[in-house]
Amino acid sequence: MKKAIVAVFMVLVVITASFGQANYPTKPITVLQGFSPGGGSDQLAQLTQPFLEKILGKSFINQYIPGATGGIAWFQLAKQSPKDGYTISITNTPMLMTNYIMNPDFKYTIHDFEPIANVVTDPGIIVVNKDSPYKTVQDFLAAAKEKPGQLTVGNSGTGGDDFFTTLIVQKITGLKFQMVPFSGDGPSWQAAMAGKIDASFNNLGITYAQVKAGNLRALAIFAEERNPALPDVPTLKEVGFHVVSGSSRGYSAPKGIPAIAKEKLLSAFAEMAKNPDFVKAAANMALPLDIKIGDDYGKYLQEQEEIFKAVWDEVKDQYRTK
Amino acid sequence: MLFTPTIVNNIVGGLGNLLQISNILFVLFGTLIGLFVGAMPGLSATMAIAMLLPLTFNLSAETGISMLAALYMGAMYGGSISAILIKTPGTPAAAATILDGFPMAQKGQAGKALGISLVASTIGGLISGFALLLIAPLLGNVALQFGPVELFAVGVFGMTIIGSLTDKSVMKGLLSGVFGLLIATIGMDTISGTARFTFGILNLYSGIPFTVALIGLFSVPQAIRLSMQNDDEAPITSDVKDRMLPTLKELWFLLPTILRSAIIGIFVGLIPGTGGDTACWYAYNETKRFSKHKELFGTGLPEGIAAAESANNAVVGGALIPTISLGIPGSSATAVLMGGLMVHGIMPGPTLMTQYANVTYTLIWAVIFSVISMFVMGLLFTRASIFVTRIKNRVLAPIIIILCVIGSFAINNSMFDVILMFGFGLLGYFMDMIKMPTAPMVLGLILGNLVETSLYQSLAIGHGSAAIFLSSPIAVVLLAFSALSILQATPLFNFLRKKRKTT
Repeated sequence: MKKAIVAVFMVLVVITASFGQANYPTKPITVLQGFSPGGGSDQLAQLTQPFLEKILGKSFINQYIPGATGGIAWFQLAKQSPKDGYTISITNTPMLMTNYIMNPDFKYTIHDFEPIANVVTDPGIIVVNKDSPYKTVQDFLAAAKEKPGQLTVGNSGTGGDDFFTTLIVQKITGLKFQMVPFSGDGPSWQAAMAGKIDASFNNLGITYAQVKAGNLRALAIFAEERNPALPDVPTLKEVGFHVVSGSSRGYSAPKGIPAIAKEKLLSAFAEMAKNPDFVKAAANMALPLDIKIGDDYGKYLQEQEEIFKAVWDEVKDQYRTK
Repeated sequence: MLFTPTIVNNIVGGLGNLLQISNILFVLFGTLIGLFVGAMPGLSATMAIAMLLPLTFNLSAETGISMLAALYMGAMYGGSISAILIKTPGTPAAAATILDGFPMAQKGQAGKALGISLVASTIGGLISGFALLLIAPLLGNVALQFGPVELFAVGVFGMTIIGSLTDKSVMKGLLSGVFGLLIATIGMDTISGTARFTFGILNLYSGIPFTVALIGLFSVPQAIRLSMQNDDEAPITSDVKDRMLPTLKELWFLLPTILRSAIIGIFVGLIPGTGGDTACWYAYNETKRFSKHKELFGTGLPEGIAAAESANNAVVGGALIPTISLGIPGSSATAVLMGGLMVHGIMPGPTLMTQYANVTYTLIWAVIFSVISMFVMGLLFTRASIFVTRIKNRVLAPIIIILCVIGSFAINNSMFDVILMFGFGLLGYFMDMIKMPTAPMVLGLILGNLVETSLYQSLAIGHGSAAIFLSSPIAVVLLAFSALSILQATPLFNFLRKKRKTT
């Protein structure tokens, strides 16, 4: 008798659970953000969530958990969040991977996540002061060749996307720069704008306003194709060096969320991407869209992980003295 | 050139924009929240702006940002209230206000101390507001001149302040400062990406949150002291009917201090990476340097309060100058404000003064208007807050602790920070027992990262040669001042002075 009751109860639980799942979402979805309000992650959240709310019919709650370059939020997502599809997170590359590639204290990997969608990729860019002697990327590379290790090149901090981009460029071109790490993209382009350093490896979306105003000159972008926002700026690929790099922001869930929730989320992002209002809103914020849904995003994350790992393995001895 | 018809148009247009009922109401609301948040130990302006930012996403850009700027201004004064009344800084920018504010309150002059703070805050705020309105494009370029080399010099100069914060034992003061510098090394190092002293704890990767340490070092020991005092022998409570505002004569006497500190505040605000938490110490130090009775600082001198408070309110306008003219945030609070603009679809950059002039000039007028509303509300709010001194210690102490817990939790939504705060609380209490001042430690914590990273960056730019520091006039002047400040305190200087007198 007792067993029968338990069995009936179990069946009921399963039914209600699956019923609840079929209606996903039935309650607000929490979004863990590894950075402070007003940062790049928040910008993405404010761009996408009004559209997603309309599609899914439920609201989003942003929870800001800044610290350890996003690592605290991502660890929480990987190891401590319920896998019911109601807790997701904004995942940013390269920090998502470089955190644990560079420091074993980060106890998560991308394999703990269910990739939902990449939304934005901000391509890397080389910017110099408006009065800089380097008018073109060729000038810049020639000068670097002439004076190895002399040109000062700013990046957003050791382990950031611009740091890795610089290393990749050095490797592919065989050149050597004097790398200057700053705490963030802002101080790096500001130093270039003031002429304190020869160039800053930065991001298009971040420096766009200053380039447009003529305070900075963009020499090259690290993308497959030129960007419509700066059509006169060549890609590094055009001058013979195939470097594609930047920082991207998307959404991931913990691995093991119900299939139906995953399906709904993926189709919500696909639907949003097709909405012309959304495309316009992104353009207004100068956010370069780069939609990759589900497995495409997963593949992208994996490729990125391999690239960063290889680069770091090569240089880590310079940064880790034992 | 500076005042083209378009600019005059924008200035007038911005004023017109602000003078709409909804904008005025939100500025008033922002100021009130700022006063309140500022007065609460543990809740800082930057944090409050960050927490309220999501609320503004439903408002228009100019209304939302104006409200947050008003909050920033209000909090800068609000912080002095708890600093003066209960010896716990309401915001990090009010830490220097304690030094003379609390002793003055203990003499029964809490009302007067708050009045001086309010007047100094108002004048400092107004000066910086008008600097923002009228000469922002000129000053904006100054911000750009502060690269790694100059920032290093600023940091070194800041560290000489430690000398003037040590009253009895120089050794203990220096030790405290050095401990502060050491604690600042905790976390992921920008230069090498290496985790230092983190012991595998992820929460330590971003370093010790400065505000958390500050809450612990100042507020917790005070709560412990309060609960150890006997309520029967309660300290002198201040008369609520006390005259608050200084007389004209007193104001005239304080005016040079207020003006000097306002200028210091504007410049410290301008420099990216430094804000109110640094400005108050620089202003306090310079006031002491120019004072005829240095030995009385720390015993409840009106100048000490006026210096710190004028400077921290002047930071608001100063920090907004590079934000609106170049898109470079001058302080952590303006960095959050700038994030708010971005979320509203406004790209912070040089276009703020042209394409988005309506938003920008509304914001500037909101800053000026918020100073006025801060003054009026401050008068009412402060009078009420003097009642705090009448609360029994056994009630007040737990309230302070509760606020500390809330404040340190809210910074990163992290329980770890609460534990950290209590750790610093015990450390602060221990330092108190052995009569080691905590202020130098705070300064070391603020400046540690700045000095270390900028030193490395400067040397990288200079290809390893320290001669780079001689290439920048700003750096040379600041480093020379630092050397002079140190020499001033050595026997050598006394010897030279004596010699000059005799000859």
